Amino acid sequence: MSIRAELKYKIMKDYGAPALMAFQDFRRRKPRPIHEAFGPPLESNKRLKEILSRHYFLSRYAPGVKKVAWVTSGAPVELLRAFDFYTIYPENHSALVGAKKQGAEYCGIAEGSGFSQDLCSYARIDLGHMLSGKTPAGKLPKPDLLFCSNNICQTVLYWYKAIAHELDIPLIHFDAPFVTTEQTEADINYMAQQLQDMIPILERVSGRVFYLNIFEEILERSMETSRTWGAILEAMKAQPAPMTIFDAFGHLAPIVSLRGLPVAQDYYHILMDEIDTRVTHGIGAIRDERYRLIWDNIAIWYKVRFLATFFAERKMNFVTATYTNAWAETTGYLDVKDPWKSMAKTYGQIILNNNLKHRLDLMKKMIKTYAVDGMVMHSTRSCKPYSVGQFDLRKAITADLDLPAVILDADIADERVWSEQQIQTRLEAFCETLEGSKHG
Amino acid sequence: MGVLPALYPRELLWAFDIHAAEIWDPPGEILHANAHLQTTICPIVKKSLEFILKEPQIINAGYLFPHTCDSLQNLSTQVKDLIGVSLPVYTFYNPKGSFNNTTTKYYQDILKNFQSTLEVSHGPLNPEKLAAACVLSHKIDSHLLAIQQARMADRLSLNNVEYFKLMRAQEYLLPIDYLNLLQQVDLLEQPFEASKARMMVSGILPPPPEILEFLDELGLSIVADDLLAVSRRIPKFAMDSPDAPLDYLTDRFFVLPPCSTRGSDLDERLHYLNSRMDESRAQGILFDMVKFCEPELFDHRLLVKTFRGRNIPVLTLETELDHHISGQDKTRIEAFTELLFEMVSA
Repeated sequence: MSIRAELKYKIMKDYGAPALMAFQDFRRRKPRPIHEAFGPPLESNKRLKEILSRHYFLSRYAPGVKKVAWVTSGAPVELLRAFDFYTIYPENHSALVGAKKQGAEYCGIAEGSGFSQDLCSYARIDLGHMLSGKTPAGKLPKPDLLFCSNNICQTVLYWYKAIAHELDIPLIHFDAPFVTTEQTEADINYMAQQLQDMIPILERVSGRVFYLNIFEEILERSMETSRTWGAILEAMKAQPAPMTIFDAFGHLAPIVSLRGLPVAQDYYHILMDEIDTRVTHGIGAIRDERYRLIWDNIAIWYKVRFLATFFAERKMNFVTATYTNAWAETTGYLDVKDPWKSMAKTYGQIILNNNLKHRLDLMKKMIKTYAVDGMVMHSTRSCKPYSVGQFDLRKAITADLDLPAVILDADIADERVWSEQQIQTRLEAFCETLEGSKHG
Repeated sequence: MGVLPALYPRELLWAFDIHAAEIWDPPGEILHANAHLQTTICPIVKKSLEFILKEPQIINAGYLFPHTCDSLQNLSTQVKDLIGVSLPVYTFYNPKGSFNNTTTKYYQDILKNFQSTLEVSHGPLNPEKLAAACVLSHKIDSHLLAIQQARMADRLSLNNVEYFKLMRAQEYLLPIDYLNLLQQVDLLEQPFEASKARMMVSGILPPPPEILEFLDELGLSIVADDLLAVSRRIPKFAMDSPDAPLDYLTDRFFVLPPCSTRGSDLDERLHYLNSRMDESRAQGILFDMVKFCEPELFDHRLLVKTFRGRNIPVLTLETELDHHISGQDKTRIEAFTELLFEMVSA
């Protein structure tokens, strides 16, 4: 660690970041007009933006003070926290690029360098960033370590291998066997042992010693944070629901990328309090919620506003999603007294690493629990584990629950794939069916 | 048993008297599978599902889905849990990434679990049969290694079509029949007159017969391969005779050549491909890519870049397994061949 870098980091943390927040706050004084179909916006949005801006802002001063790791969204990051890595989530960054409608530009950079257009757009955006240095976040630090788990897809392994080779840095891979029926003892032991095998490597890369008590504290915090996130999502059972799932897509960022840190834990307490207040006072995310929907798959980041408005205008609110639920679903398995095996159970059984019977049962349960009237499935070209099987999932759900459903063929972050006319036609047909089914 | 791509302990199936009929690219149009899979799913997955949906009578012991990629992973549970077939559906997880003692131990556990699963429907395993299956497998591997070596050294008088027909016969023949077939292959003591141009092919499946025939016509010989269906399933070197079957099967998995679907390290893959290119004296490399195959597409860019950096001509073709060669691809192959011929004469 260089004293100069450490001093710079401290100054930026204590003065630079607050100054940036104040400046951003000043720029935002004139709030964007809100469509009349929506209820009052969440106050927590401001805090969310502060946290994320601060995280990206400080990341550029981290090198020389903390080791930087690029991490996949499903990886057991708690272990890295015990070594004080500064973590960057390329998926989160790619979603940010997608939301700013810059996905095609970044994908184009990767494609121009030889990566196929058929690859995941999160990966192409990240590779485009890596090759060009471009980012809407100002500047991102180069990683000292890559940490990935194939519990969300095999793609991340191929993608991170490409970065590891290009940047000549170590890659730690957490191999999570797919759960075809249920996890076996062998699966659990394998994953638990892998986590313990990582410790000497992480000690070497970080230059820090592993302390079990510190790790347990982080795990405890992570559990509590995930539980709070789960409680926030459960509050969406209220009618009207206090937020839309499009809000939740944004508020998901800390549980994904800051999990295990006090800032994420504190943030979700703030959000929970606000959500509770809204439920108590019957404040809905949309003004006149008449239909309640479930969303399946990752968000279409460049069309979140369009979709939110389209549905809100029709008094339809997304109250639950398989995607947002993923960071709360398996938290119950975490156990500080048995950290390794409990992490194997938690991270090994997340929705994308679990069989489709599990997903079908989960979706049916969510549909009943949240009093859902219709389902929108995003079939994304980028994510095979999320998309392969959706046609049959829809068939099973519509048959068993007599629920109107529509599949949108699009992509998570590459806006070139979006076909406005085709999707609008499908959505309008879906809305007509939904209105017809509810009013008989 | 219908077995989907790619890596699985065939010896365990043989020991249970189960014949493994591999499903890679069954002929026929994709019709019914389109109702279950998106347009952006690879044709191997679609063709496999089309085959399964027909419920062919030759498959009566079930389907085995080795864990190869995201699409096949999901297809296994889609078939088992959502579409539903009358036969049992089995899965087999292949560990991913870099390998160490933890992985080795886990792979042994997977083998034991798979054995237990098969015992439920096929009765207890006869250890002697497993030992015999390993011996048979070892003999097949030894012959395949010898044939590969002969191919690289111009001591195999088979053209491209004949060579890959022989290599792919293991997908459907009984192991003993396949061994007999391999034993009949004539390995020459001295090299015959070598083709004017030599190349290596990389990808999932060998190029379709139409392309192989065209390459034969042009006088271009595929002297080595890095194909998942062929060389990536043959150990890198001759293994010792099997003593303890589980140890043998474990060792065999870990001495397979590096492969994108196993998440092999890119440096290891590059090193392996370079050594194969050098050993076979191939002058160029053809990447025959299956459309939408993510594991291959991610590695492809670096492999191409590296070979081009070594001034090795590279040609990439994209296939949807429709077995038709387009006019455009024909022209590209001709241009590629001319380039290789120029290199030979230079």
